[in-house]
Amino acid sequence: MKNTQYIKILQRLVVGCMALSMSACATDLQTRVAGNLTALSKNQTVAILPVETSDPGQKEMAKMFRQGLYANLKQSEFHLLERYVIDGLLKQNKLTDPSILLNINPMQFGEILGVDAIVFSRINKVERSYFVLHSSIKLSVSVQMVDTRSGEILWRAEQTEQDFSGIGKIPTGITTALLAPIQFVTNKFNLSRMTSNMVDKLTVLVKHPNEADRENQFEKPIIAKNATHELKKIEELQQLKAEWQEAMILHEKAELSASSKNLESNKEPLVEIATKPESNSVKKNKIQAHSIVQKIKRVESEMPPLSPQKEAMIPTPIYMSQAITVKPISVIESKEAPPITRSYVGTSAKQLTSSKTQLYTVQVGAYKTKAHARKLERSLKRKGYDVFITQNGKNIYRVQVDRFASKEDAIKLAHHIQIQEKLKNFVTRFSGV
Amino acid sequence: MHKIQEMQTFSITYMKAWLAGKQNSLLQKLTIFILLFGMVFGGCGTVDLKVRKNLDHPNIHPNTVAILPFTLAGPTPEGVPVHRLFRECFFNYFSYLGYVDVPLETIDYKLQAAGMKKYKEVLGFSSEKLRDILAVDAVIKGQVLETNNFTGGIHAETSIKAKIEMIDLRTGETLWETEHKQRIYSGILSPTVVEIIQDQMDNVKVHQALYKTAEMFSIGIMMKIPDPAEVWQKEIRLPEIKSIETNLKLNQKLKPNDRIYVNLTGDAGLKGSFGIGSWKSNIPLREINPGMYSGSYIVQESDEISSALIVGTLKNAQGLTGKRFYKHGMAVIEKSSLN
Repeated sequence: MKNTQYIKILQRLVVGCMALSMSACATDLQTRVAGNLTALSKNQTVAILPVETSDPGQKEMAKMFRQGLYANLKQSEFHLLERYVIDGLLKQNKLTDPSILLNINPMQFGEILGVDAIVFSRINKVERSYFVLHSSIKLSVSVQMVDTRSGEILWRAEQTEQDFSGIGKIPTGITTALLAPIQFVTNKFNLSRMTSNMVDKLTVLVKHPNEADRENQFEKPIIAKNATHELKKIEELQQLKAEWQEAMILHEKAELSASSKNLESNKEPLVEIATKPESNSVKKNKIQAHSIVQKIKRVESEMPPLSPQKEAMIPTPIYMSQAITVKPISVIESKEAPPITRSYVGTSAKQLTSSKTQLYTVQVGAYKTKAHARKLERSLKRKGYDVFITQNGKNIYRVQVDRFASKEDAIKLAHHIQIQEKLKNFVTRFSGV
Repeated sequence: MHKIQEMQTFSITYMKAWLAGKQNSLLQKLTIFILLFGMVFGGCGTVDLKVRKNLDHPNIHPNTVAILPFTLAGPTPEGVPVHRLFRECFFNYFSYLGYVDVPLETIDYKLQAAGMKKYKEVLGFSSEKLRDILAVDAVIKGQVLETNNFTGGIHAETSIKAKIEMIDLRTGETLWETEHKQRIYSGILSPTVVEIIQDQMDNVKVHQALYKTAEMFSIGIMMKIPDPAEVWQKEIRLPEIKSIETNLKLNQKLKPNDRIYVNLTGDAGLKGSFGIGSWKSNIPLREINPGMYSGSYIVQESDEISSALIVGTLKNAQGLTGKRFYKHGMAVIEKSSLN
């Protein structure tokens, strides 16, 4: 009771003094949480990532801030992954630069760190100023917590903390008026204390998400930008696969209704190469096939490369379209010819076909609608495949990949597409584009 | 630094007496004034931590550490259990360092199960006994020797004096120790009127003031405690998941009583589970063969998800988790028409 009265009196005095001062120590905090934050329990693990800084001189502040986040969020409902585990795993994955972390898909962090959510943070400003009778410290930070399983932003906050000392706060004497500003801005203890106070205020809602007002909650779930991109890619891929399955059925029907002669010449058994021994021609093309695999692995990877260094290590892909110049030619007739050893460089499709050599290709799709065929063509082209569309007599648009003089080479690519792209396919004779 | 602290303590004692009207002479007032002036320059002393053993060699560093209950030598100010408050605060900051710190509740539970009734008893436990009870490499003992929370017309101060040490239970040796007094104060000579009043206001809230002091003590000491993070970083390895498969079909919309099957291969002998996005987690997977885990989830009437990725999880005994997403399909559960 006595304390309460005392506080009230002091509060009034403070208000009076504040009115006299030119400005006061201030906090600007904008923080919002998602409803799903309450779903995090001790069974879920959260990683506080290294803090990004906008200036090399902010490293000390970044360390203090991360330490403060740990100490405060230790009191929250979820489990925190040990800092040394995070730093060790990031180092193993060559992710030592905090400035690139925000550009990485949160789901990737889920796999790298084995966590359910991650906390990104950035020091925007650490400003110390001194003007003889006035000095100030201004700190500004941004924080974001993202669920790695869904990409949802669980918490987002921006905070600016400012404090000063000097004439504005009514010095108690001439000495104080001169000394206080110097002491305030140079004393490391003040920066520690301000950082500590800042993190205390910043983390209140995360520690007690149930206490969030409506205005401090996101109106609807927000998915992080990187996660949205990746989820969209997965959905598109799914859509393509679904269309392909439908097209496969159509294709089979079309093939069945074709003439028996055409059936004889065009129908090939579905690829089964797992148990087939490597032929000499395959061995000859081994280096090139390896290059293709390298390229495809890089492009089809559903998440961005781990680091620029890692990306730099990947050899420059050899685009098959660069090796073979494909020009639309109408070659309907293709008679049987003895197989030749495939030679890519300097041998165009025209040359190969015009020399009456039998070529093989890998068919990955057949559509009634040209737009659907184009969509698959574009998707595979982006991944570096030499893909093209052919049309048969039944107005079916067939999506085919590459041409080979050797059937074994075609089978190898078919197998690769089956594994990497999860696209059903078969090897067929190339009948021209 | 110690001299400054002694001066500060002396001046506070005098000032308290002066405020009580016991000392009134001009000379004494002047003395106090000079001593307080020293306080301005003295600031808050840094923690003087003495490392007793060279911890450079990786094998010497303890890995698992338990922070034992802190003891309190004097009375509790305003009924605030400073030793408990300080221990919690210390634990929160200590978790930043590269040790595996045992949760405080676990430590207390184990000690109570071993017969500890009062916190002070823990000081008498031998290293062997503590190692048997807690199964850790090292312990941290803390004794709060002195606390102070004083608010007067021109001066406010909160302080905690404590002795903290880390003992290696494998050898019984003290690895490091410190005895430090942390102060947060403001007074007539410390900067400005606004600050004096604000600090006094804060200081009256005893619990908050003591926690803040404990926090500054902890921040100070953490800068000095040897951190083995670099040593352990190289050895970290998450459980490996080689593959994950589900029976999800393309563009399939799941309905009540449909079953999502998940098969996972990876390191053997671990705790396996899977989740459906962030919507449902920890659905158990059974290890049917070494390194092969299998489980399922039956869609319920009330379930509804627009699209979620299946995520497989393997957890080891240290609590480290390996995760892998199934990226070839998403779970879509339409709300049952019955609802």
